[in-house]
Amino acid sequence: MQMLFSTLFAFALLVQTSSAPGRVVNLVLPRNLNADEGVAVELKLGVLERGNEVRVETISGKLLGVISPYGIRSGNQAGTYTIPVPAEAISNNCVSLRIILDRHSRGKRAPTAQEVRSVKLRITSASSV
Amino acid sequence: MDNQKSPFTRRSFLKTSLAAAAGAASLPITTYAFTPPQTAKYIRYNVMSEGGKKALQSYTKAIQAMLALKPEHPHNWFRNAFVHLMDCPHGNWWFYVWHRGYIGYFEETIRNLSGDQTFAIPYWDWTVQPEIPQVMFDNVLTPTDKAFEPYTRNLDVFTSFIQPSLKTYWNSLNTAQRGQLNIRGYKTFEDMWNDVTGNGDPGNMAFATTPTARYLSRQNPKLDPATAKDCSPEIIKAGLKPIEYYNANVSLSFTSSKTPSHMTPPGSNTKFSTIEGLPHNKVHNCIGGVGPLGPGPYGNMTNFLSPVDPIFYLHHSNIDRLWDVWTRKQQQAGYPILPPEPDRTTLSIEEFLFYVNGNGQFVGASKAGEYLSTARFGYEYEPGFGDKLLEISKAQKPGKMQVKGTVKGNRATLSVPSAAVKEHLAASATTLVAEVTVPHPTTGSQTREFHVLVGAPEGVTEADPKSPYFAGTVAFFGNMSHAHGTPGDATFAVPLPKAPQAFKGLEATNATVEIRIVAAGGQTQPSLLKSATIRAI
Repeated sequence: MQMLFSTLFAFALLVQTSSAPGRVVNLVLPRNLNADEGVAVELKLGVLERGNEVRVETISGKLLGVISPYGIRSGNQAGTYTIPVPAEAISNNCVSLRIILDRHSRGKRAPTAQEVRSVKLRITSASSV
Repeated sequence: MDNQKSPFTRRSFLKTSLAAAAGAASLPITTYAFTPPQTAKYIRYNVMSEGGKKALQSYTKAIQAMLALKPEHPHNWFRNAFVHLMDCPHGNWWFYVWHRGYIGYFEETIRNLSGDQTFAIPYWDWTVQPEIPQVMFDNVLTPTDKAFEPYTRNLDVFTSFIQPSLKTYWNSLNTAQRGQLNIRGYKTFEDMWNDVTGNGDPGNMAFATTPTARYLSRQNPKLDPATAKDCSPEIIKAGLKPIEYYNANVSLSFTSSKTPSHMTPPGSNTKFSTIEGLPHNKVHNCIGGVGPLGPGPYGNMTNFLSPVDPIFYLHHSNIDRLWDVWTRKQQQAGYPILPPEPDRTTLSIEEFLFYVNGNGQFVGASKAGEYLSTARFGYEYEPGFGDKLLEISKAQKPGKMQVKGTVKGNRATLSVPSAAVKEHLAASATTLVAEVTVPHPTTGSQTREFHVLVGAPEGVTEADPKSPYFAGTVAFFGNMSHAHGTPGDATFAVPLPKAPQAFKGLEATNATVEIRIVAAGGQTQPSLLKSATIRAI
């Protein structure tokens, strides 16, 4: 059972930019996944301008999820959010993701280090669902 | 009550309560008793079903009645929304439980004001239907309806209408309520009202004018692709996956952060669970117009006067339904549905002070523990997304395997299907767990820790944790000098080693598993193993 509760994470190894908007992060799993284990990416956000959202996509452009803070007072940091990473986004224990700050009518751009403070991979436990 | 098995859906709540009253609380784990489903008094239907459509007729009637009530009445439509603005928890582990109470009392209100005593709030299953049901644009089911104009035409009109009665209410609040509001950041009435007006920040304005009260429209009812993604099966499935009600590691937690109070505002240390952080938040914001409406102001759903929009209750009914799905998943798999002590008590004793019941009376101080079960309001859900996952999981789950051993001395022998052992050894999702029952040490006994050995060679009396035969150590905590009479037995769940040496006869249909208990650290050992059972989980 203890194995089920084990959680491992890896910080982004490399930060780079490319022509597409957003920040690309390359993350490495610390070990092979066991059967039925999953992977999630955990993002800790800082202060976001009202109405801004954070999109997480694969490098090929598949949307994995969107963080849209709710109930956060102006000026407060937005907290930490978890988005599942599908198995097809993992290759050789590596995951490359594009993190985008969506400002809607004002366009998209890479978030600053203050807006997205950390990005981690976590291995999630096996479960019956 | 222990944290391992306490089914809290209404189907089995009563029986579990009786077990707790009978003293099961002293056991590290309880039995895995099956409780047959009972019939709920109310059914929360999918809004698209016939039952859901019928419920909306009563809902419409009651909203009209609530709009017509004077602002001094706690059931006035807007006064009801202010309960949410003043008290709702977000980003913490009371999110689900508080909203269950809020919706439950609201449902009673609708029942009374519509005259439909069968009413239960329908749910909107946005995973299956990622657009606002067309019927929710009819009449007062949208806050853009002309019936709202006398109150929400503009902020001045709204202020004149609601503020005097709210101030009177504010001045009547007791010390405990004021204390909670202080934590929320509402030290004065003006602090609270600033969240209504936005206090210069249009994005923080909870009030919305009638025509802008809901961004999505009859012509544009679809959730945008990003919101639909956050409501998609893969996200919901991930949100249902955690096996703990709360874990400090949010990836493993069904609920959001553990905070000192349900009033603690979300901030830098807040960790949002997947279901609250993604579909819950995004649906609120999408309906309110985050994105297309720039920095705001937004429709009602984006801020804490979101219950002004009748879709709020269908949205939260679905969130509550997913909690129920998760609960049943946990029960089916044999996982806990609440945190262990002392967290369970901390969670349960939190006071909710602002609810209004179906008779229009202030509930007063009620505790979170009262709302952990759907039994509190006597409802069940018509199946929706997630229920199918449970069926599949149940069919595939080998976890029903259970073998009881023969005990002689401190040794239990069990015959277990080799296939189950091999699955266990293969590091798959299935784990074999031994439940060993030993008597609680009596007063004066120095032997309080025992190693559990599996398949260990004859004569072995000690085992290193690195040994392939070592399953774990069970220990009793604290002395028993305060206890009177026989302290009873205790059952511990210990995962079996993942080493093939610990099992004999794997080539046959059934393998032999031998479990022994030895006193740890050279303590004297009485004969103590009372029973042993192996289960696949």
